[in-house]
Amino acid sequence: VSSRATPSEQCYEIDDDLPDLALGTLSGRRRAEVLGHVGSCARCSSELQALSTISDLLLLLAPAAEPPVGFELRLADKLRAGASPPPARRLLQRIGSLAAAAAVVAVLGAGVGIWASAGHRSAPDQTAAADLASAQLQHNGSAVGQVMISAGRPAWMFVTVYDLESTGNVRCAITLADGAVDTVGVFKLSSGYGAWGTALPAGQVRSVRLVSSAGVTLASARISA
Amino acid sequence: VSNGRNQDEADLSDEALLSGMSVGDEWAGLVFVRRHQGRIFGLAQRILGEASLAEDVAQEAFMRIFRHAAVYDARRGAVTTWALTITRNLAIDTLRSRRATPTDPDEPLFLDLTGSTVSPEDVAVAQDDLARVRVALDDLPADQRRALLLAAMYGRSASEIARAEVIPLGTAKSRVRLGLAKLREVLAIEEIQ
Repeated sequence: VSSRATPSEQCYEIDDDLPDLALGTLSGRRRAEVLGHVGSCARCSSELQALSTISDLLLLLAPAAEPPVGFELRLADKLRAGASPPPARRLLQRIGSLAAAAAVVAVLGAGVGIWASAGHRSAPDQTAAADLASAQLQHNGSAVGQVMISAGRPAWMFVTVYDLESTGNVRCAITLADGAVDTVGVFKLSSGYGAWGTALPAGQVRSVRLVSSAGVTLASARISA
Repeated sequence: VSNGRNQDEADLSDEALLSGMSVGDEWAGLVFVRRHQGRIFGLAQRILGEASLAEDVAQEAFMRIFRHAAVYDARRGAVTTWALTITRNLAIDTLRSRRATPTDPDEPLFLDLTGSTVSPEDVAVAQDDLARVRVALDDLPADQRRALLLAAMYGRSASEIARAEVIPLGTAKSRVRLGLAKLREVLAIEEIQ
C-alpha cells in the first residue's frame, strides 16, 4: 500500500486522471485501472476524496425545483410495480393524457396520496409524529449515540453511535414492554462510530442495549412509554 | 434530537430513513421522497432542460435509491450527494442516449449562485463551503467555469469539451483543472505532493 509520504510511479501516472474520475468523466478500462490503484493507495484515495468534495458541492448548487403535479403518485405506482412502468402507462404519460392528468389532480386535490390509499399510514404530516420515538444512548451518564424508533408497519429502529470507546462487533438487544428481551442484530463499530438500522418485532420497545462480544453492556437507552 | 415520544420526522436523518425504506416502510420512503424530490428533480431539470425527461430521470433515481437503501454505506458520504450523483449519472445517460443538447451552463439561472434556494436544513454539508464554492465559481474566468460545469454536470470528457468548444484538447483539460484548482484553493483543501 502506498502512503502519502512516498508516492509511487503509478501515483504520478494517474494524477492526471483523478480530476476526471472525481468529476465522473473517466470511463472504460482506464476508470477501472485508476479505481484499482486508488483502492490500495492512501495518497491517491485522499486526493480523490478532496476532488470529489468539490464535485459534490457543484451538484448541490443546482437549484431545487418543484416536480410536476402527481410526481409522488407516479413514483409510488412504479415502486409498487417494482419495475419500469408498463408501455401503456408510459405512453399515457408521454402523450400527456388529459384524463390521466385530471385523475392525478383529483387525487391530490383530495389530499390523499397513493402512499396512503393502499392501506398504509397517512401522509406523514398527519400521523407520523405519534409513531416516532428517540432516546440518547448513554455510557456512564454521557451521551454516546442516539436511537430512533419508528413504530409504524413495519416497525424499525436506527442506531447511531458517535462516541463510544469501542471497536468491533456489538450486539443490539431490546427489552419490550412485556419484559421480553430480544437480540435484534449485530453491527460493527469503527473507532467509536457506527450507524445501523433494523426491523423490529411487534411490541413497544422500552430499552435498547449495546453489548460487546464479551457480554459487557457498552451503552443503553431508555425509551419513554 | 431530543428524547421522548412524538418526535418529528424532521429529526430523522437521511440514513435513518434509508434504514426504514430498506425494511419496507413506505412512510419512511414518502418522507425521503418529499425531503429530496425538489433537489433531485431540480438537478435533472437543470441538466436536461425538459420537465418530462427530468421527471423520468428523477423517478428512476428514486427507484435506484429505494433499491439500494439497504446497502447504502455512510462512509461514501452524505446521502444528499449520493442521491444527486445517481441523478446526475442517469441524466447524463439520458442525454447521451437521446443525443440531446444539454442546457447551456452559461444560462444565468443554471446554478444557484445567489444562495436563495439552499437552506442550512437542506443539505448535510458545511454551509460555509457551499457559500465559498458559489462565490469562487462566480469569480472563475467564464471559459474555466463553463468547462468545469460541462464536466461536473454533464459528464463531458475533455475531448468532448474540446470538440464542442472548438479548442485544443490540452486547453480543455487545463480549463477544467484550473477551475477545480481554484475551487480547491478557496475551500482550503490541502494539496498532495
